[in-house]
Amino acid sequence: MTTSRRSFLQLALAGGASLPTLNLMSGIATAASSSDPIVIGHQADLTGGISSWGYWLDKSARAAVDHINANGGVAGREIKYVAEDSESNPPSGARKFRSLVQRSKADFVIGAVHSGVNLATCPIAKELKTLYIPNGMAEEMTGSSGNRYVFRTGSDTYSQAAAGAKWAAEQLGKTWTFIFADYGWGWSHFNEHKKVLESIGATVNPPIAVPLDAKDMLPYLAKVPENTEVLYSLFFGSQSVAFYTQANSMGVNKRTKLYSVICGHEAISPADLGGASEGAHLLEYLPRQLKHQDTEYNRKIRELMKVDPVNGQEEGSNRIIAGSHYWATWEAVFFIKEAVEKSGWRTKKDTPEVIKALEGMSVEESLAHPQGAKTIRAEDHKAIIDFKMSKVQDGKIEMLHAIPAKDIVQFFPPRVDFTKENV
Amino acid sequence: MSSDVLSPGRLAIFAAVLLLVAAVPWWLPALVEDYWVDIAAEILIWSLFAASVNLLYGYAGLLSFGQALYFGVGAYGVAFGLQHFGLGFWGSMGLGVTAATAMAAVAGIFAVRLTWHYFSIITIVFGLILYLLTVGAKDLTGGDDGLSLSLPPFFSLGGVELDLFDQATQYLFVLFFVGLCYGAMWVVLRSPFGYGLKAVRENAPRAGLIGLDAFWLRYAAFVMAGFLAGMGGALFALFSRYASAQYMYWTVSGEGVIWTIVGGAGTLFGPLIGTAALIVLREEISSIWEHYLMVLGVIVILMVTFAPRGFAGLIEDAVRRLKPTPSAPPRSE
Repeated sequence: MTTSRRSFLQLALAGGASLPTLNLMSGIATAASSSDPIVIGHQADLTGGISSWGYWLDKSARAAVDHINANGGVAGREIKYVAEDSESNPPSGARKFRSLVQRSKADFVIGAVHSGVNLATCPIAKELKTLYIPNGMAEEMTGSSGNRYVFRTGSDTYSQAAAGAKWAAEQLGKTWTFIFADYGWGWSHFNEHKKVLESIGATVNPPIAVPLDAKDMLPYLAKVPENTEVLYSLFFGSQSVAFYTQANSMGVNKRTKLYSVICGHEAISPADLGGASEGAHLLEYLPRQLKHQDTEYNRKIRELMKVDPVNGQEEGSNRIIAGSHYWATWEAVFFIKEAVEKSGWRTKKDTPEVIKALEGMSVEESLAHPQGAKTIRAEDHKAIIDFKMSKVQDGKIEMLHAIPAKDIVQFFPPRVDFTKENV
Repeated sequence: MSSDVLSPGRLAIFAAVLLLVAAVPWWLPALVEDYWVDIAAEILIWSLFAASVNLLYGYAGLLSFGQALYFGVGAYGVAFGLQHFGLGFWGSMGLGVTAATAMAAVAGIFAVRLTWHYFSIITIVFGLILYLLTVGAKDLTGGDDGLSLSLPPFFSLGGVELDLFDQATQYLFVLFFVGLCYGAMWVVLRSPFGYGLKAVRENAPRAGLIGLDAFWLRYAAFVMAGFLAGMGGALFALFSRYASAQYMYWTVSGEGVIWTIVGGAGTLFGPLIGTAALIVLREEISSIWEHYLMVLGVIVILMVTFAPRGFAGLIEDAVRRLKPTPSAPPRSE
């Protein structure tokens, strides 16, 4: 469902004769009441570098809205869903956030998965007093660049490093090199993992940051030091394909062990890489294969996404699901629903009550939260979630073991306390 | 300056338009969402950027694809002033504009020795060099992520504070500086310097024969254009609370060229009209179809093909048709 909006062009084309009517209508339209639909905006990455993920986050959020609307809505109110394209570009994304809030009158906004877009948007969320749930992984959104209006329902580099780096260093090797896309997300991964690795005595070589528009990985792969035991890569989309295939052709994956978070394989099937990523260890947040977390909730949400249980390929297309990320927007919609109902939110002026309701909110594994039980930590607004350690084997992503949140939460204590901020 | 320019009729029309533009924060939200007040401010800012392209292309005959460089420097000047140097609101804005103008003063020495496509190429090269340096200096510039800004009030006296978080205040703040720049351009382009610039654009060797120094005229125009773009960048950083290397990329310069051509190169308000038209279309189309650039591309092709003088040319033709044709003097046999 989309909102109807007063268009500037409509106004221009209507001409002076209809101005009195428009003026009257505007008075009616701006007087939002507590029985109006609740507007959830989505700053979605529908085009640009990370659109292969953005498609799934948009599809998932739409499915959640449809499901809720078909089952009584939120506190009896319907949800209107409005998505605008961030273009995977920070300036455009920040502009679209303003458009969602000021033009489409979004009460709550689910954010892009592009960390740069999120970082540009966080201060505007505070300025416009709008609850914002970004989906990028950079730690800063629930750290130094965050504020009381920003919440995270997915994972982040801080918790990912705590979940996987120590195990990977013990199992794969203690001399690491990082090669990554040169923007907030990549640097955040490097910085967070470096802290963990150095704390356990591992060696971290100088990072290799690759410009976002680089097509050829060879000059950068050539910089990987000979002493590297573990090569941590972080790219998305076509750069990820280029990394794995060119690392394979150079034999880099023969002399090093490949380790990363799942991101480099999101929306990509290992089979499509022709075996180039075979043997790579990956930290997942929700297993690609249904069999590794075969619950009724995951069966249902995958049915709604129309994907197969093994590769996550969409029915009737070649798209592969961004399996560790798509659920975060589904859950974000449900978190909004639960916080609205818990706080008694009626109109946007009640947003501080929603914020307080979300701070410390715990949820059980359910259809609303298919990834698993989790708590949104009050201080830094970060969801504390389970992880999985997986490995590419025979062209499939196979889970090795689960990493429950309770086992790792002590390794990433809050660095900020947003509850001290006024709203 | 012809007396016709300042005729009472024209002054009355100008005053009415100015009043209408200044009152945008009050009448526009009564008709459409208040979001459009911010878009109006954004149009004013970007029109200043397009005006910098127009000063070079429309008046000096130099097609620059590097004005984004000065826009970006203006924006980063504000960001550095606020985040790194603690210069406060006005000091940071001054730093942005000054840095952009100084950058143009240096680049101009090399650039305006060239004309035609050589000039275009060197402006792209300058822009790309600084873009790559900016993206690479991540610790300082935020790289591809840019820098978010916390804005202090721009006026504070006796407990009264004014800041840009109020939509109407922000719009009027932008309008004030953009208006000053357009006023300055109006004066400059009607001065001997402006006429000299047009003479050089039309025929540089002939202009030289009457004592005009093409290099210095072009150089002065280049520095002024850098100032305008820098002012635009500084205002945009304050408006968006954000500075990014993305604004330095040559495609942003290309947008300025398109806005100028669609609006009408070589006219004072052509860039403003072109910027307004294409930004309104962007806002309308991009919210319903993510591949909106295809539509904008078609519109640009149609404009360039069928109305090469842009919207300003179309308006001029329409006004001419509406004006009564003076009766022809009797022919003497």
